[in-house]
Amino acid sequence: MTRKYDAIIIGAGVIGAPIAYELSKMGYKTLTVDKLADAGEGSTAGSCAIVRAHYSTADGVAMAYEGFKYWLDWENYLDHVKDEKGLARYMNTGSLLLKSQGHDWKKVKKNYNEIGVKYKELTVEEIKTMVPVADLHEFWPVRRPEDPTFYDEPTKMLEGAIFCPEGGYVNDPTLSAHNIMRAAEAKGATFMFNAEVVDIRTKDGRTAGITLKDGTQIDAPIVVNVGGPHSFKINKMAPGVWEGCNIKTKSLRHEVMYCPSPDGYDYLNDGYHMSDGDVGCYVRPEVGNTFLIGSEDPACDPKEWVDPDDFYAGKGGLGRDNVLTEAQWQAQCFRFGKRVPDLPVPNQPKGVVDLYDCSDDWIPVYDKSDLPGFYMAVGTSGNQYKNAPVVGRMMAELIDACEKGLDHDKEPFQYKFKYITRSTNVGFFSRKRQINRNSSFSVNG
Amino acid sequence: MKLFVCVKHVPDSAAHIAIIDHIRIDENISFLLNPYDEHALTEAVRIREMNPGSEVIAVCLGKADAEKTLRSAMAMGADRGILIKTDKRHDSIETALALKTAIEQDGSPALIFTGKESIDDQGMQTLFRLGALFDFPAATNVVRLDIVSGKAVTDTEFSGGVVSTYEMSLPCVIGAGKRLNTPKYPTVRDVMRSRKSPIQAFEFSDLNMETPKARMEVIELIPYIQKRQPKEITGSPSEIAQKIVEILKNEAKVL
Ligand SMILES: Cc1cc2nc3c(=O)[nH]c(=O)nc-3n(C[C@H](O)[C@H](O)[C@H](O)COP(=O)(O)OP(=O)(O)OC[C@H]3O[C@@H](n4cnc5c(N)ncnc54)[C@H](O)[C@@H]3O)c2cc1C
Repeated sequence: MTRKYDAIIIGAGVIGAPIAYELSKMGYKTLTVDKLADAGEGSTAGSCAIVRAHYSTADGVAMAYEGFKYWLDWENYLDHVKDEKGLARYMNTGSLLLKSQGHDWKKVKKNYNEIGVKYKELTVEEIKTMVPVADLHEFWPVRRPEDPTFYDEPTKMLEGAIFCPEGGYVNDPTLSAHNIMRAAEAKGATFMFNAEVVDIRTKDGRTAGITLKDGTQIDAPIVVNVGGPHSFKINKMAPGVWEGCNIKTKSLRHEVMYCPSPDGYDYLNDGYHMSDGDVGCYVRPEVGNTFLIGSEDPACDPKEWVDPDDFYAGKGGLGRDNVLTEAQWQAQCFRFGKRVPDLPVPNQPKGVVDLYDCSDDWIPVYDKSDLPGFYMAVGTSGNQYKNAPVVGRMMAELIDACEKGLDHDKEPFQYKFKYITRSTNVGFFSRKRQINRNSSFSVNG
Repeated sequence: MKLFVCVKHVPDSAAHIAIIDHIRIDENISFLLNPYDEHALTEAVRIREMNPGSEVIAVCLGKADAEKTLRSAMAMGADRGILIKTDKRHDSIETALALKTAIEQDGSPALIFTGKESIDDQGMQTLFRLGALFDFPAATNVVRLDIVSGKAVTDTEFSGGVVSTYEMSLPCVIGAGKRLNTPKYPTVRDVMRSRKSPIQAFEFSDLNMETPKARMEVIELIPYIQKRQPKEITGSPSEIAQKIVEILKNEAKVL
């Protein structure tokens, strides 16, 4: 059986769903296919869903700041659609970026000024009144607990912090993708689950459609790869696409730890999202008065590039697949425990392991491809959740412009943001770019 | 007072346990302090605080890697650790004898604490064997402990919530139950403080103990395959919440 759509989106994660939504709003008949059972159940489900503006490039900051406005205006964005599961909620905590050698915060500050992000510089004393449990000594460089110098006593204090009152997290990332799916369906989009794409078919040098694992062929002149950690596998299915990318993607294992808040500190209600390059961790509150502790991928940590199919099948080796590893549990908890010395660290590790779809320079690839009709929104590198609604709109406009004849590689599409008065050169996210040396080469993007 | 706490290095209950050759588990998983032993440690520390000059000593029979479990025990308040290193799996007969020998070599115990069971073997024998070897009284699944005029008064919980109160002469063996106390997670400050606490480690063979004549052996491990029958709970959110509470109360009996 052959069915026909204007565009097929592979992946119903938080990035795929808004692309389907925006294309549908523009009149495209879309089909989104996902091999899992529902929207947002891929790597989106493991996301910390932190919404913060600090990126090492001005374009990165602009996009995140724009994204923030969508989260604030969630019901409007969804055009007041009803979701039987309820709506995801954006929780504004404010966002602290500690000034440290682990972050190029001067660059961030410059970018904030350029984009007009609201912020305040704080002294160590001011941070201490906001986060009374914090020890604000400088612990740099980031080390592993196996290293005897890990326990060296600090001697200097940190310089301070940059505080953005606008920042926080979304309480349920899976639900947020589901919300967008419902909004897309209200505009005529179709979603198909338990459907794994195994081939991208072409005809006369152009995208013709997809083939599913059960042999079903579905035709569409446009196919968008939003496969998350599987993105490189999908690019390889499409003739010439993977080879045509100068920036490649692969999947990186990432662990997020859960520790209870110290006695007497209501982190859930009084706490901030904090990026702490000095100890290589980022944190945000979670229900149960818990700290979620993610890693900023310091140089001393081994990077575990894994095959996403093996990982999700639990084949990565016992204790190494989707189960936290003890060494990393200690590394992240003890590092952050330097900042919060009364942080309780349970003997039994608790947390989440998932995969980043990581690009060579930790900046995403939002682009067309060398195969006409084939597009990609990939390489989200652990830091694009917050941008999802912006990416949806930007990709839809890019696709529309290219289909109408724009040679985006020659004359990069300029995307005009909806909320902030600025345009962004979508060529910044080109697959053909040279590695962006301005990047932090970490989850900070 | 010397307060000994026997601690075991057990697989993380959240790990995927795989059986190899029908006889052993794949040990390439996380191991940690037996959860019941956390209650034992917490209680020993409480008794120490009430008896100035006392000392809490964690004792472990396990592979070299079990040092981590001793470190956890020390972060939770033990003053020092004793590690009897072995790569073998010992039955509770030999384990009890090894623990007794190591404890005796260290000094005379005022009290010996263990968890009520280890979550891996769940043999529930070691603590009684230890008591018998020492000729000490022993109580398990202890949910209250008081030291009153040179005696230990314990509440011991049986299935169905039946509680018996025992008075035991000292020294005695206390098998800690879950309701004995609420262990506090160690903080990073605790970890840092206890980093340098001493661990005396030696080989099992250094105990120079006679091999017990009686022996128990595991001859086969068979995975327990749970049959799950999912049921959908329907209704309004408050009806669903009510039904969940009922299930937790009446079926799961955890509330
Ligand atoms: C642990 C963790 C923490 C993070 N924290 C943050 C954060 O705090 N802030 C932030 O901004 N970002 C964060 N991120 C990043 C952010 O969550 C991701 O960038 C985002 O969720 C990626 O969404 P996606 O839709 O691209 O991928 P996914 O959600 O993985 O969706 C891809 C979908 O494609 C499907 N798929 C793949 N292959 C096929 C196929 N062959 N056929 C059919 N379907 C297929 C998958 O089943 C999946 O559902 C984090 C990521 C992780 C892993």
